[in-house]
Amino acid sequence: MIEQFIEGFGMAMRLDTMAMMSIGLFAGMLVGSLPGFTTLMAMAILLPISFFLEPLVGIPFLLGIYKGGIFGGSVPAILLSMPGTGAAVATSRDGYKLTQQGKSRKALDMALFSSVFGDTFSDIFTIMMIFPIAYLVMQFGPPELFAVLLMSLIIIAATSGANPLKSLIMMALGLWLSFVGTDPLGGSERFTFGLFELKSGIPLLPMLIGLFALPEVASVVIRNDGARKLSALVGERLKFAEFRRCFKTICRSTVIGTMVGIVPGLGQIVAAMMGYSAAKNASDHPETFGEGEIEGVAAAESANNAVNGPTMVPLLTLGIPGDNVTAILLGAFVAQGLRPGPQLFEEQGATVFAILVAMVIANLLFLVIGYLSVPFFSKLVTIKTSILIPLVIMFAFAGTYVYRSDPTDLLMLVAFGIFGIIAKAGRFDVMPLVMGFILGPSMEYAFGQTMAMSGGNALGFFVTERFGALGVLIAAPIIGFMLWKRLYGAARTV
Amino acid sequence: MFSTIIKKSLAVLAITGGAFAMSAAPALAEYPEKPVTMVIPLSAGGSHDLNARIITSVIPSYLGQAMIVRLTPGAGGQKGSLEVARSPADGYTLLFSHNYLDMLQQYVDDLPYDPMEDFIPIARVNYAAASIVVRADSPYETFEDLVADAKARPGALKIGHSGNWGAFFVPAAQIMRELELNINMIPYPGGGPAMQALLSGDSDFTMAFPSALGELLKSGDIRVLASAGDERIFEGVPTLSEVGVEGDIGYMHRFVLAPAGTPPEAVEKLRTAFAELAVDDTFIRLMGTLGESIDPMTGDEYQVLREQQSVTYKELVDALTSQ
Repeated sequence: MIEQFIEGFGMAMRLDTMAMMSIGLFAGMLVGSLPGFTTLMAMAILLPISFFLEPLVGIPFLLGIYKGGIFGGSVPAILLSMPGTGAAVATSRDGYKLTQQGKSRKALDMALFSSVFGDTFSDIFTIMMIFPIAYLVMQFGPPELFAVLLMSLIIIAATSGANPLKSLIMMALGLWLSFVGTDPLGGSERFTFGLFELKSGIPLLPMLIGLFALPEVASVVIRNDGARKLSALVGERLKFAEFRRCFKTICRSTVIGTMVGIVPGLGQIVAAMMGYSAAKNASDHPETFGEGEIEGVAAAESANNAVNGPTMVPLLTLGIPGDNVTAILLGAFVAQGLRPGPQLFEEQGATVFAILVAMVIANLLFLVIGYLSVPFFSKLVTIKTSILIPLVIMFAFAGTYVYRSDPTDLLMLVAFGIFGIIAKAGRFDVMPLVMGFILGPSMEYAFGQTMAMSGGNALGFFVTERFGALGVLIAAPIIGFMLWKRLYGAARTV
Repeated sequence: MFSTIIKKSLAVLAITGGAFAMSAAPALAEYPEKPVTMVIPLSAGGSHDLNARIITSVIPSYLGQAMIVRLTPGAGGQKGSLEVARSPADGYTLLFSHNYLDMLQQYVDDLPYDPMEDFIPIARVNYAAASIVVRADSPYETFEDLVADAKARPGALKIGHSGNWGAFFVPAAQIMRELELNINMIPYPGGGPAMQALLSGDSDFTMAFPSALGELLKSGDIRVLASAGDERIFEGVPTLSEVGVEGDIGYMHRFVLAPAGTPPEAVEKLRTAFAELAVDDTFIRLMGTLGESIDPMTGDEYQVLREQQSVTYKELVDALTSQ
């Protein structure tokens, strides 16, 4: 295995591999930073290009798009409070506050460094532990997924605000909104009022842009502070001392993200939220989180990128794609005559290691490309408010429409925008709502599967066969209560 | 100086424009005059998406125009289907569908379109034949072992499938009905997770297409008990009809539909292009690397299958939902 690794390392050191990977990274970053365009779309469209390239050029090219796209998504989240994907929601929380304080470059720098750090170390961990991870992945079935998702929701509710009742109300609302549409298990329609437009459920993107971006636009317009003094600070770079202060958080988030990546079906969104919650909980000054704490950006970004390494494991060791992104990668592998599966390592071990090494190199290349691009992005917000605000509104509507070319989505955008403005005025945090909405369907699906597996006797099933899942279910409310008490319990008694 | 450049470029434009007009003149009214859009009502990265990427990279040389993939997932495929049903019947919007979405969904849901009335088939590209798979350490050596145990312990066996009324649910339900079995059907969000559940021991058997099986079979992790198909796909593994399950069961046909009322010239042109595509070397090579077969069928031939499906699926749904 060591020889294969060394051989693979040599194979990855090619100029054309690096060149195509850089193009992929840059293209991914651009696409990811445009609201409404997803990395997945970019990969699907550019997939045929990889058919006609060598394996060690084509696959790193696609990996580049993927990695660039994830960072790209955090750019509008930080600058415009416009997260294009669920994974960037946690980033936008402190990132946008930093932009408002004129520290957009600092925030973007931190997002870049922590992304690269999280990604690199989870990739290295994956390369070293690929077979143990493959074993661990198999231990998670629907009951475990359900338990972990429920625990995630409880932790998010407990750590997102001083008033747990408000958080729970918003989360319940988010869960209810996720029920709208066709029931994923039974196929019956719920809360659609017979409208075909609602049959496939409420789309995520208009909700995210409506809830996060439009209320910010409204508040800028209402405050009417046309002459913001941002330009003095905008160019200020991240200081090494700031990075060092966040280093512990970045390491913690990387570990959390890697662990989340091992559980099939959880993904970047849960990782980012868990990393953020953990950082807030460990901090001496949790009250600064959500008010422009650069540690919050670091926590979310390193966690959501650390998911990437382990999610490749089922694909490489079993040939099983866990999500749409890995499904596209599987297509690229197969078209190259590389059939991912248990034998891939025996037959093509060097090539697989070369691809894994390329993933690590992609991170380093991205550090350079990102570092050179950040100054341009960060200047975006220095545009005069009277021009920036109409631009943001245009991006919000255009991004929503381009996503699926469905005019109904624009109505959703406006509706969620109005809801967001009202919620903001009432000091209701929309984060639990969004998390309930995103995680609800997976949790419901896992619950339905668990019920089907147990043959109706869920309690007996958990006690006799799924002890681990049961343990998580019992521990979840206790952990949630302890977290809430630690963060807010003392403050409330004052 | 500047004006000469303009004059020169105008002259060049006039010449190329004239040449273009002359070469295009006889074809002026002929379909296709602009790129054709192929709507995929399913999500990115799925097998339809991958197949379509290959089709659209090769077919322009036979169609004389580009073909563009548009992904419109949603409502179990109904969103994209509706989009095509409602688009003008001019041959510029096509639908890349499969039989369960096309012919079965109308019996389990209220569709905003009528699949039989609103679409005509252009061509079938290929099909994927489902196999019944168990883990290598499973006690079932043959399909008969599995059936015998399922009969002995009604409701105890678990099959993981890729979603209700989907490509593995339907054949499993058809087999259960044919052989009078009662098996606990657990849905998974896709074929990948269903296979993972089999390997981890959460289900007793599952179904899969050949393209997803090759490597796991080679490494000895799984065993195939039976496969759909006219001929045996895997050595020593019987076809479904050999083990007593007859009919159009376990095939996922991938085919292209056009809105009803599409002009006959356009339909003809498209059908010819798809027929030529099926024998193109690059196409055959690329589909081969994906592990997909090429089994072309003309639109008229496939229409016969559609009509049969609409009858058998109705019977199946009636039988399953009346319980």
